[in-house]
Amino acid sequence: MQRLDRIVESSARSLAQRTSRRSFIGVLGRILTGSLLIPLLPIDRIQRAEAATGPEGSPAKGKSAGKPYTEDQQNCEYWKYCAIDGFLCSCCGGSSHSCPPGTQQSVVSWIGTCHNPADGRDYIVSYNDCCGKASCGNCDCYRNERERPLYRLSRNNDVNWCMANTGSDYHCTVSVILGSSGP
Amino acid sequence: MNRWLLPVALLGATAAAGAAARAGPAQDYALHCMGCHGASAQGVPGKVPPLAHSLVRFMNNAEGRRYVLRVPGAANSMLSDAQLAAVLNWVVAQFDADELGSATPQFREQEVAANRHTPMAGVLATRAAVLKEIAAIGPAPATEY
Repeated sequence: MQRLDRIVESSARSLAQRTSRRSFIGVLGRILTGSLLIPLLPIDRIQRAEAATGPEGSPAKGKSAGKPYTEDQQNCEYWKYCAIDGFLCSCCGGSSHSCPPGTQQSVVSWIGTCHNPADGRDYIVSYNDCCGKASCGNCDCYRNERERPLYRLSRNNDVNWCMANTGSDYHCTVSVILGSSGP
Repeated sequence: MNRWLLPVALLGATAAAGAAARAGPAQDYALHCMGCHGASAQGVPGKVPPLAHSLVRFMNNAEGRRYVLRVPGAANSMLSDAQLAAVLNWVVAQFDADELGSATPQFREQEVAANRHTPMAGVLATRAAVLKEIAAIGPAPATEY
């Protein structure tokens, strides 16, 4: 133990004789400043972040071309919900494509296209509201990809699609695949 | 609700087109029109005008053709002039084939371009006037819109 004390003491004295306190503070300052600048370097960290966790922090359940995706139909990031705006019927007693009991599917709908990472194809999806009951309130999901502001009315989804139904109360939204998109 | 329901319905406010490649009028109809007018162009009674057994009757009348090209849902759609002409021609061929005579002229890109940019101030009044003219010479489209 004494030997260890001597080694530490001699190395500490040697260091103190060779370097000034001012020099030490200067080096420490440079290190601290340099480490603060590292996060500002232009490095793409998106892939690393996505690989670490699935969407919204949930574990990734599938991968396509190295990019993770979820297969949980109660998760807003599920591929079919890419243009949805509303409560997921899969969290409201229905499924991703069928209305809960006691509600009626809207006769008019919002239509979008979504890319399915599982098979690499694009699909046309109809987002029908389920009508006739008060709002479900579960799994609020706002994605609305390719939606445009209200002044482009034909491409704006801020609409209660229950408006043409007899009961116009909005409950939740389903996503019905109409077919594949593309040539 | 009803005060703005009809204009929205007429606009066919359905289209969330996409990055998907263009694949012709059938897909354009699905993306830009079908949400309101329906898979069979049947419309919603009292809410959304049908195109089936209706559009062809407008097409056979000069004012009817102008009305179809200026109605907000068509004129303000994201479709190009050529795409809009193709969709309208596809709809009549698909859903109005039994009424589509050889004398019915197809919509052309130039005709769409010449008409769609003239705003229509009173949709309902214009429609009523056109329907009256069509009814004078034959079967007219539905009147409750």
